[in-house]
Amino acid sequence: MGYASKSPWVIHYDGSSCNGCDIEVLATLCPGFDGERFGVVNTGNPKHADIFLVTGSVNEQNIAVVKEIYDQMIEPKVVVACGICACTGGVFHDCYNVIGGVDQAIPVDVYAPGCAVRPESLIDAIVEGVKALDEKAAALKAAKKERG
Amino acid sequence: MGKATIIPFGPQHPVLPEPLHLDLVVEDETVIDCIPQIGFVHRGLEKLVETRDYNQFIYIAERICGICAMGHSLGYAETVEELMGVEVPKRAEYLRVIWHELSRIHSHLLWLGLAADAFGFESMFMHCWRLRERILDIFEKTTGGRVILSVVKVGGVARDIDGAMMQGILATLDGIRSDYSALMKTLLTDTSIKNRTVGVGTIGYDEAVALSMVGPFARASAVNYDVRSFGRGAYGDLADFQPILDNQGDCYARVKVRCLEVLQSIDIIRELAAKMPAGDIAVAVKGSPAAGAQASNVLEQPRGECYYYARGNGTKHLDRMRMRTPTSQNLAGMATALKGCDLADVNMIILTIDPCISCTER
Amino acid sequence: MGFEQDFEPLALDELHGFAESRRAEGWRYVQTLAVLTDEGIDLVYSFMKGGHLANHVVPIARDAEVPSISDVFLAAFVFENEIHDLFGVAIKGIAIDFEGNFYQLANEAPMTILSPEQAAAREKAKKAAAVKAAKEQGVAPEADDMEAKLAAMDPKKAAKVRAAMEAKAKKEAAAKEAEIEGKLKDMDSEKAAKVRAAMEAKAKKAASRAEGGE
Repeated sequence: MGYASKSPWVIHYDGSSCNGCDIEVLATLCPGFDGERFGVVNTGNPKHADIFLVTGSVNEQNIAVVKEIYDQMIEPKVVVACGICACTGGVFHDCYNVIGGVDQAIPVDVYAPGCAVRPESLIDAIVEGVKALDEKAAALKAAKKERG
Repeated sequence: MGKATIIPFGPQHPVLPEPLHLDLVVEDETVIDCIPQIGFVHRGLEKLVETRDYNQFIYIAERICGICAMGHSLGYAETVEELMGVEVPKRAEYLRVIWHELSRIHSHLLWLGLAADAFGFESMFMHCWRLRERILDIFEKTTGGRVILSVVKVGGVARDIDGAMMQGILATLDGIRSDYSALMKTLLTDTSIKNRTVGVGTIGYDEAVALSMVGPFARASAVNYDVRSFGRGAYGDLADFQPILDNQGDCYARVKVRCLEVLQSIDIIRELAAKMPAGDIAVAVKGSPAAGAQASNVLEQPRGECYYYARGNGTKHLDRMRMRTPTSQNLAGMATALKGCDLADVNMIILTIDPCISCTER
Repeated sequence: MGFEQDFEPLALDELHGFAESRRAEGWRYVQTLAVLTDEGIDLVYSFMKGGHLANHVVPIARDAEVPSISDVFLAAFVFENEIHDLFGVAIKGIAIDFEGNFYQLANEAPMTILSPEQAAAREKAKKAAAVKAAKEQGVAPEADDMEAKLAAMDPKKAAKVRAAMEAKAKKEAAAKEAEIEGKLKDMDSEKAAKVRAAMEAKAKKAASRAEGGE
């Protein structure tokens, strides 16, 4: 990866997770692992965010919330599923209230497995996310040019 | 005189690490009522006893909550051991308590960081979590995991801590103690922090008892209850254990109680490391719980008293496993503390009860 | 301070008065939970005083109405709402009543749904336990217990036992037929034809029912 065109701002939401992955997401942005050196800022506003970090195997009540946050984000946007519960439902995949991963609710671009996901994986996932973000931005620009 | 507006708070909010929805009924800037709505983390994992046997279920029990992971695996194992009449070796009890007290330190440091972030003190958040990384390094060296430890099993523990590693742990804790004392001094004596926390969200002793509150939330209102004073397991070998109490009952008192508990835990670990007996770290557990057998257990987790219940049905699967977590007990207290506060204090009050919604909803 | 716990039964109609007396005596309310049993649902209420954890088991039918104790102990509203949503128990008078919206679930009363595999496994365990108990008491196992015995046996041995049982049953059926033939011979020939026709129809009906059942 060369230079990213912008510093990726992230928004984090806990979609029915046990909090293990959430505290690892926050730990990634803290001095121990320093995700902020990539220019990452944890914002609470979906309209300011580029990358959506979701944790947790989403439950019935949370589907609407996850979709709402995703819909409020502005293109180009990237979704990173953090932790095995967000990827496939994890150890809770057969629970009655769980839909089995974030990709059952919204489209996911990067999958970062682990229980709890390690901060090193998360940094890797964010960097992958920035790559995907750049590709999407280029595609949007090309589409705009074509329209004239 | 204003008119009442309803402001929805959550489930997604920058200060909340977990989804929780509150409908705050606000008149001008004062909250006059608060209606909580939870259910965003309910996975229904208690039903998984039907598909996982009592040994496998410990992996589910740990993942009820990533912050209290060690506590839940310990409480579950103790309950099943009580149900089946298994006695755990002394060394295993000591190791369990040492990991549990380390878990308490990590949880309180985590909480201190989030509470500071809640009222805008972001650099304190960074410092607390930087210190916390040292505890997570200890976890990783001794168990292999930073957050989910998977070191407790029914019958004992899965790994040992040898003498050299224990000395390393104690040295790390001494280093933490000196850095932490500087942070604690800032938290407890700084004027701006005092302005935001003293007199905010006060709950008196009688109200705390009537609302059946538990944990540091209740001890800050002078309720003298801590499960560790029953002296079960390795806690019984402590020379003297006194719960830390405060009688102001406001946010400042709750911050103070938790700050002092971190130091108390460091002392407990030091004392137990010196007294650690030699021996086995686990016993083999055979057979299944008898049909109709019941057992209950209480454990002092970082957030308060956690109650466990197990019932057997003669097979390797438990009939019922139930965890009642401290935050579900404290929800009534939270709703009461939020009445009559300023809108800007809502974050602070919610965070000072140390909510762990994923524990509550399982 | 030591710690002790016990389990005591409690009747549903004494529940509310009991909770009030506990509060008056200074007991602390710990929790409420529900367990699904074969007969219905068991509610377990726990209180603590000193180091004594007293659990009280209140057995109720699934459609019973339970009075709320959240007017005595406000903290109970959380558990009562949860029991209502997960077990479908009707609890009257909860202080903060979410009326079924405490959790938004994929199914209604999910903790009362037992999958067929689990129901079968529990039946098997219960039968094995009953056989064991009967053995301990020295009672001879009856025909019903034959099934339980076979289920608990080694499969090859069980197959042999089953074959022996079938052979015995066939022998008994053949003996019965011979007896009937003997009776028919002594009968009037027209009547005998009618009886034979009726017997054949009955046998056909039984055979088709058996086939349909499979």
